Amino acid sequence: MMNKTASIISIFSMLFIQSVFASSSAIPLADIEVSQDQQSIKRGVLVYHNTCRLCHSMKYIKYQHLEQIGFNESEIDKLRGNALKTAAMTRLMSDDASYELYGMVPPDLSIMAKARKHGPQYIYTLMTSYKEKDGVYSNTLFPGIKMPDVFDGSTYTDSATKVAIEVKVRDVTEFLTWSADPRAAERKNLGKYVIAYLIILSTMFYFVMKRVWRRLDE
Amino acid sequence: MADDKNSPEDPQRRDFILNSATGVVAGAGVLTACWPFISSMNPSSDVLSKSTTEASLKGIRPGESKTVEWQGKPVFLVRRTEKQIAAMEGDGEGKDPQADADRVQNPDWLVVVGICTHLGCVPSRKKEGWMCPCHGSVYDNSGRVLSGPAPTNLELPPYEFVSADKIIIGRAKS
Amino acid sequence: MKKVVGWIDQRFPLTAFIKHELTEYPTPRNLSYWWNFGSLAGVVLVIQIISGIFLAMHYKADAALAFDSVEHIMRDVNYGWLIRFMHSTGATAFFAVIFIHMARTLYYGSYRAPREIMWWTGQLLLLLLMATAFMGYLLPWGQMSYWGAQVITSLFGAVPFLGDELVIWLRGDFTVGDATLTRFFALHYLLPFIIVGAVLIHLVALHQVRSSNPSGINLADKDNIPFHPYFTVKDLFGLCVFLTVYSYFVFYNPNLFIEADNYIPANPMQTPVHIVPEWYFLPFYAILRAVPDLLGGVVAMGISVMIFAAMPFLDRSKIPGGARYRPFYRVMFYLFLLDVLVLGYVGANPPEGYLVPLGQVATFFYFGAFVLLPFGSKMEEKWLRERGLPPEIVALMEGEEAQKQDRRKKKERRKGGVVSDDE
Repeated sequence: MMNKTASIISIFSMLFIQSVFASSSAIPLADIEVSQDQQSIKRGVLVYHNTCRLCHSMKYIKYQHLEQIGFNESEIDKLRGNALKTAAMTRLMSDDASYELYGMVPPDLSIMAKARKHGPQYIYTLMTSYKEKDGVYSNTLFPGIKMPDVFDGSTYTDSATKVAIEVKVRDVTEFLTWSADPRAAERKNLGKYVIAYLIILSTMFYFVMKRVWRRLDE
Repeated sequence: MADDKNSPEDPQRRDFILNSATGVVAGAGVLTACWPFISSMNPSSDVLSKSTTEASLKGIRPGESKTVEWQGKPVFLVRRTEKQIAAMEGDGEGKDPQADADRVQNPDWLVVVGICTHLGCVPSRKKEGWMCPCHGSVYDNSGRVLSGPAPTNLELPPYEFVSADKIIIGRAKS
Repeated sequence: MKKVVGWIDQRFPLTAFIKHELTEYPTPRNLSYWWNFGSLAGVVLVIQIISGIFLAMHYKADAALAFDSVEHIMRDVNYGWLIRFMHSTGATAFFAVIFIHMARTLYYGSYRAPREIMWWTGQLLLLLLMATAFMGYLLPWGQMSYWGAQVITSLFGAVPFLGDELVIWLRGDFTVGDATLTRFFALHYLLPFIIVGAVLIHLVALHQVRSSNPSGINLADKDNIPFHPYFTVKDLFGLCVFLTVYSYFVFYNPNLFIEADNYIPANPMQTPVHIVPEWYFLPFYAILRAVPDLLGGVVAMGISVMIFAAMPFLDRSKIPGGARYRPFYRVMFYLFLLDVLVLGYVGANPPEGYLVPLGQVATFFYFGAFVLLPFGSKMEEKWLRERGLPPEIVALMEGEEAQKQDRRKKKERRKGGVVSDDE
């Protein structure tokens, strides 16, 4: 009796828990899968450095951290120029210029992939949702957005350039996903062993428990 | 319990093996679980990155010196003139004789930790060396102690020239 | 080793204590897995304290530094990410375990005499836990941290006369700020140790009245078994299963319980579109919003947390135990549980459309269940008696009635009055 009702409660709980955590965004996000392929992340660093860095800082990523995604010393030295290896990646535009152009300082991107629900999908969709009408740019995901169409996605309609742009956006999304959680791979790897260990230990304790309780029947 | 005490089918022996094995596995897990916490108290990666510091030698003219920070300590970088290098030849006249040639990689540049070996104050730069304001120890242009209560010469940090005007302090010459 | 223990035993009741309170402690043999959750809560408390202390070695309780210090822990500190996720997942685990523990107590009637003090120390522990969690949530200094604290501290403004001053006094500032953060950190560090003290009192009470059991009836002595090895090993097994589920969340889905908005540094100039508390506060948050008046909402929310304390008095049935022999109580229990889930759903979403009346109906039912209980329990008892109770229940009830008469007679004899002869 208790088991049946317990399972009914569990089902209801799952439904409610699911609804609590379900996505409530009105605009559907692109259903891209994050691969965390290292080459893609490396290309994404360059996309960020050449395009986004003008306005967006990445204060939690230091140049030396790029070693973790496969950059060697000379590649890092080339990227950082005069900045120290221990320095974080800062934006190039001054605060004053930002306020003049956009009325705000563009947000730091280090943890943007975690600061939005379904972050990676959000970033990808945002950067590929620019539309142009009569010389005015808009974004279907974020209508009053102040960021211009930096990848020119709204201008090019031929498939070759579109694909190239989508690859760029994909790469920078992979980089931003990594930068939001650089320990993700290590975490999942360790988790494998921890959970396997605990399943084994649980099983062992189960049998010890059964044997101990069998004494009661004697 | 008709079984022999130590035969493998003896339930008590089986129990003992199962219980001990479980105990060992559980204990190993508990010990392993301690490691992340102990490790978290070790220097974090940003502190470790401070174990080496890049120091630019640009703009220091002969006879001038500059102080940089390495691992929270001051390091004196001195660009010595020909005269100063010549004056430092030999083992020095202090209580801790050491050849100047053994204290520099490039005689033009002296790199020493700027902490007096007496009680840790930062010596002040003088014309030909340093003088510690706390108890009066005097050092020459090779960082060797000449007089005062300091027992030994100024410490030599590991460092490496990565170019003519840049050194990395904290990394020994490979 | 035996000699060392013997030396200690002469000076300190070590062996005697361990034997009496742990290894030989009599426990009902029929305890189900629902009885594992008390010890589980103790383990989660230890996990939170240890992970918390090691986090505090790196965290900076300063409005300008807090957010960055958490990222420092996540990125630079060795295994910092692990300790941080253990702590954030641990908070969720703590409430999950405690809610199940409470549900078990309600279902099986373990709050009833003579276990009222256990129930009330439990109520105190719940309040301490909620305060600790609320203050801990401010520490990362994200958008949700800041605005959640802003909203909840401003609720104290509903207090008549003193309200406004009280809010300022609590915050140490006119709005949530650096002063608030520092004191919340100090108290967040302190309260868990008060919780440890309250847990000890809770356990002392437990050892006086002993565990209840699924039948709800006090068992004969012969039906008790020593805690060790039967329940030590059962608790260890349950702990391993719990740790497996816990580890799944720590390693594979740690951000499930962290609101995305909390990865945005606190901005006093901009409120997030939806302010949502952590899941374990959602039902109470829904009740708060269900009442249109500010003071009314605060009072309703306060009562919704505290009303559990009244259970031993609200339940007037003489039928012993909990839901097992009481069909009306069982139905009310499940409906109440469903109602709490509905309230949680309402609390998670903005108060728009159908959610508003739904939240109000659910709030009405929440309190209605407690109000109904005194009458319902009495009616149920009458109905059950008419249908005929199972013999063991009758025996137990007669036994308890006889004990009561004995006690009354003893009292009158002591007073020197005439003993009324019932025979």
